[in-house]
Amino acid sequence: MSLRKTLKTVSLGLLAGIALTASALAADGKLIVIITPSHDNPFFKQEAVGAQAKAKELGYDAAIYSHDDDANKQNDLIDSAIAQKAAAIILDNAGADATVAAVQKAKDAGVPSFLIDREINANGIAVAQIVSNNYQGATLVAESFVEAMGEKGNFVELVGKESDTNAGVRSKGFHDVIDQYPDMKMVAQQSANWSQTEAFSKMESILQANPDIQGVISGNDTMAMGAMAALEAAGRKDVLVAGFDGSNDVRDAILAGKIHATGLQPAFRQAQYAVELADKYLKEGSTGQPEKISMDCVLITKENAAKLDNFALKD
Amino acid sequence: MTNTVATPAAEAPKGQSTLLLLLLKLRTFIALIAVVVFFSLMAPNFVSVANAVIVSKHVAINAFLAIGMTFVILTGGIDLSVGAIVGLVGMVAGALVLYGIPLEMFGVVIYPNVWEVIGIALLVGTFVGLVNGLLITRMQVAPFIATLGMLYVARGTALLMSGGSTFPNLIGKPEFGNQGFPALGAGTILGIPLSIWLLLVVAGVAAYVATKTPFGRQIYAVGGNERAATLSGVSVDRVKLAVYMISGFCAAIAGLVVASQLVASHPASGETFEMNAIAAAVLGGTSLSGGRGTIGGTIVGAFVIGVLSDGLVMMGVSEFWQMVIKGVVIVGAVILDQMQRRIARNARLG
Repeated sequence: MSLRKTLKTVSLGLLAGIALTASALAADGKLIVIITPSHDNPFFKQEAVGAQAKAKELGYDAAIYSHDDDANKQNDLIDSAIAQKAAAIILDNAGADATVAAVQKAKDAGVPSFLIDREINANGIAVAQIVSNNYQGATLVAESFVEAMGEKGNFVELVGKESDTNAGVRSKGFHDVIDQYPDMKMVAQQSANWSQTEAFSKMESILQANPDIQGVISGNDTMAMGAMAALEAAGRKDVLVAGFDGSNDVRDAILAGKIHATGLQPAFRQAQYAVELADKYLKEGSTGQPEKISMDCVLITKENAAKLDNFALKD
Repeated sequence: MTNTVATPAAEAPKGQSTLLLLLLKLRTFIALIAVVVFFSLMAPNFVSVANAVIVSKHVAINAFLAIGMTFVILTGGIDLSVGAIVGLVGMVAGALVLYGIPLEMFGVVIYPNVWEVIGIALLVGTFVGLVNGLLITRMQVAPFIATLGMLYVARGTALLMSGGSTFPNLIGKPEFGNQGFPALGAGTILGIPLSIWLLLVVAGVAAYVATKTPFGRQIYAVGGNERAATLSGVSVDRVKLAVYMISGFCAAIAGLVVASQLVASHPASGETFEMNAIAAAVLGGTSLSGGRGTIGGTIVGAFVIGVLSDGLVMMGVSEFWQMVIKGVVIVGAVILDQMQRRIARNARLG
């Protein structure tokens, strides 16, 4: 047999194999597809890990994908979930508006979607939208931040990616609290796109323009870590840093006294809850819950940081 | 009679075009002065030694990449993988500091010291460049495609190394004798951060290689006219292989500096850095078709981009406007570049 023929046979075999596996997975309607943003943020990784563990526990197969915050890629992933005849989709979506059509498409094909972490701008399309109360969490962090600053001083706000709803909601939560204190002055506000590297270099520049600052409040933990590194490089141990998410990196920084506080979003629990609801929906035809479910965030400071691990608080 | 009338008439535009040509040749430098003056007036505390140091530190990271990129572009190629190499090299260094090299068959773990970590990381970057070069010269893959593929492979490998998470606290442990990694990013000599000294060295060596060595002349020859270079005995493949290795090596330096500054390595570090590096080279007058450009121009180009982004942050301009302004400046630079070439051609013909 010539090389080309061998290759052809092998690739045909592979294709058949893939098709068989796909239909085998689909045959018993036991596949739960979990789609989140990129796992390079531990927050999303824990969502995927939590959902997968719960799905296995309840006797489902779980497939994990990442849309990298690209609505187009998310659309493709949902198409393939439909093609695999998934029983349910657990989705942390790539954009409140950009996701609506894709979730509708899944619904039309008979695949129910359970949204976590981020809402979409439409009701009645997803079976459930389980969202951390970002606003409530942000106000908790802001209250603790204001108190630690003695209700006065200059501060910097690092905002998340401005195309992401949560960046805006958190910023609003911060300001609804902080702006009540006339002696708290925001001297700079910049987006660092959720990125540690970007937060580092922007913080360095902001420190040059405004050396007289006492605090930095940041829309997520990775940016808080970047800001902390820049402040350390500049020898500024006097500046208070607050983050949001509740990552292990920030937990360690809080315990080391380098970061003041963060807001924990129960990512792990949230993802598990979504799978539990999916299971109930598949068995009983209803989740027995309203579509929109809000889960409260928890303030993490030196007091309770030691109990935090992988976005879950141990009792 | 017609001659005497014609001569002054012809000279006037020629004199003008010489001046214009000079201005256009210095355009990147003039642009740099313009942005510096602008931000000195507009941004608080922009003019200070401390800020100059911070800006230079930020520029250095892009400049390392842009220097390597310039060599590649001079041969008529492109290297899209440098940003991913930044991420990969950071992860390699992070893994070595945190976990060492486990030798399972002997049941021991070797913890390399900081110099060895840096050495291994630089080798990894250079090796990625070598693979790029081999794909391009031996497999005849177009540079754009070969390095685009490598972008994904290197980024994916970086993510695989930690399952996507960050390697934190790269400070090493005294019992392993591997402390000191953060010094690369935070250390200073005479009050100037190490990364800036490093840039001076790398830029100096690169400029020397490009202008004063036979290898440098071969790079320009390959980019200017590959066939002519081959016919005159230049080993085109070897030159190409070398420039991609240089680019990988330079990207590795940037990767080490980024990881060291953050005292942590994140697999997504360096995303879109390749675009900034290409922009710096082009702003500095490097022609994407090869054969034309200088290391000095690239450094000035990197400074224009760096001053622009830091200055806009200090002014408090929104992220969205920053992107728009950067885009306009890059395209504007290329338009001026085309004008200069047209005028230079006309002046020669005239």
